[in-house]
Amino acid sequence: MVYPTSVFLYRVLLQIGVLSYYFHNMSLSRKEVETLAELARLQLSEQELVNAEKDLDSILGYVDRLKKIDVSGVLPHGIAPIEIGWRPDAVFECDDVTRELILTNFPSRRGDLLETPAVFEEPKK
Amino acid sequence: MSTPLNELTISDAARKLRAGDVSSREITDACLKEIHSKNVTLNAFLDVYEEEARLAADRSDERRAEGDSFGSLDGIPIALKDNILYQEKRCTAGSKMLANYTATTHATVTRKLLEAGAVILGKTNMDEFAMGSSTEHSAFGPTKNPRDLERVPGGSSGGSAAAVAARMCPAALGSDTGGSIRQPASFCGAVGLKPTYGRVSRSGLMAMASSLDQIGPITTTVEDAETLLEVIQGYDSDDETTADVENFSSVKRESLSGVRIGLPKQAWGEGMDSGVRERVEQAIRVLEEAGAKVKEVDLPYADAALAAYYLIMPCEVSANMARFDGIRYGIRTGGLPLFETYAHARASGLGPEVRRRILLGTYALSRGYYEAYYLQAKKVQTLIRRAYQDAFEQVDLLVTPTAPTTAFKIGEKTSDPLTMYLEDIFTVGVNVAGVPAVSVPCGDFEGLPVGLQLVGKWFREAELLSAARIYEERRV
Repeated sequence: MVYPTSVFLYRVLLQIGVLSYYFHNMSLSRKEVETLAELARLQLSEQELVNAEKDLDSILGYVDRLKKIDVSGVLPHGIAPIEIGWRPDAVFECDDVTRELILTNFPSRRGDLLETPAVFEEPKK
Repeated sequence: MSTPLNELTISDAARKLRAGDVSSREITDACLKEIHSKNVTLNAFLDVYEEEARLAADRSDERRAEGDSFGSLDGIPIALKDNILYQEKRCTAGSKMLANYTATTHATVTRKLLEAGAVILGKTNMDEFAMGSSTEHSAFGPTKNPRDLERVPGGSSGGSAAAVAARMCPAALGSDTGGSIRQPASFCGAVGLKPTYGRVSRSGLMAMASSLDQIGPITTTVEDAETLLEVIQGYDSDDETTADVENFSSVKRESLSGVRIGLPKQAWGEGMDSGVRERVEQAIRVLEEAGAKVKEVDLPYADAALAAYYLIMPCEVSANMARFDGIRYGIRTGGLPLFETYAHARASGLGPEVRRRILLGTYALSRGYYEAYYLQAKKVQTLIRRAYQDAFEQVDLLVTPTAPTTAFKIGEKTSDPLTMYLEDIFTVGVNVAGVPAVSVPCGDFEGLPVGLQLVGKWFREAELLSAARIYEERRV
């Protein structure tokens, strides 16, 4: 069966595409990096997004070797069940020095109150 | 000629203070003078508490005159890494985000040092929030290596290591999450100890990766590291990960006879500078001559440790850094809606390495990747701990170089984060396993210090440090 050249080329390119996806499945897309920055509440510039994409790719390429390690039957270390390590909230007195230091660290305050931006806002698109 | 006062070890200084040969004020003044003359060049200290240090020294001298001195640290000047809280003092963690943050309380270790009569000289420079291996990631400029000003001091506790190596103070505290005490100690030619996870309280230490962080001393001798560990250790109800175990107290031994030392065969492959290999092999011969039985051991997953570390750590970083959102402290640009307030404060207050690790951690913890990355890394961590357990069935201590290279040039590794991460290849396994380790200088190569790393069993610092001391006494 003979393909027209354009179809042949198309199929080759498709193959390369599939293969490169297979071999570089850890590669992050630009969109993913943008989503991560949004999740992490980091406002990144165009250049910073480009750099992040490149850096994360190289680091993920390195840590990917972990996936080859057989961990069947192995429990993760030190992830405690949620009920361990929690203690009830307790109110305790705070001396005046500590209290004043906490207040002076507020980026914005009104009297002894912490001033914050409004919590309710237009939903993000 | 007698040793200049700023160059005294803690133990010598304590002896002279007891004998009345010298006052704490004189030692403190000598250190402050050295800081004055060298800090402009080295940038090891971010803040120096001149006046308070002198007052504290005077009080110590008064106590001594009245016969109620507190012990071996009373009147000894010490520096703190700038991620350790000292109440009413600025604490920046090397970040622009906290350039004007004032510590609201003392870290447990700070309180213990003050109760022991130590004179706190000031705060030392570091990679931002302890993320880095060179102190180049400080918002307040890099620290220089006292041996060669064109080179880094290592990191992240580079300020502490440089300060001790330049004899600006006899000792400093650092923190070690993946090598941040041991590697700078190695690069600067100082002793650096990372205690067992849970030996020293982390309360008041700004968290980087909470399951791996540990505070420890940087000193000029192993004995001084022992003295400091005796003071700062112990269970603390403010840090539920501190262990309720028998306290460390130093043991003096005469030789290493009966001590079995293992050389992890995975550590001695490629990627180590020939000069580093040579010096460390010489050190191993010294250990043998001191009576130790040295043999090769298998420590599987050694290279997986670095990969596991560079997943577990950023995951915890991304969670720990969430608090820096410009609301309760840090910097805030007014007049923005909530989301932009967070995003702007974080982007302008946090440096590139911190942002990189936050993004990496956010990715590895996100839905669909958690199992493949974080959970997998935590399972590999179990395997790594087992590998250490198995190795410690056969030997008492493990020995490797502390770092694969000597101090590198400033700017040499900043462009590629992965090359910088590879600096930690010998140190991170110790944090992932939670065991104690110490870096001891083992000679120079081309004028730059090389560090020997000794690794001990969980909570067996006495065994570890007594062996390190024997090495220190016998090295040429």
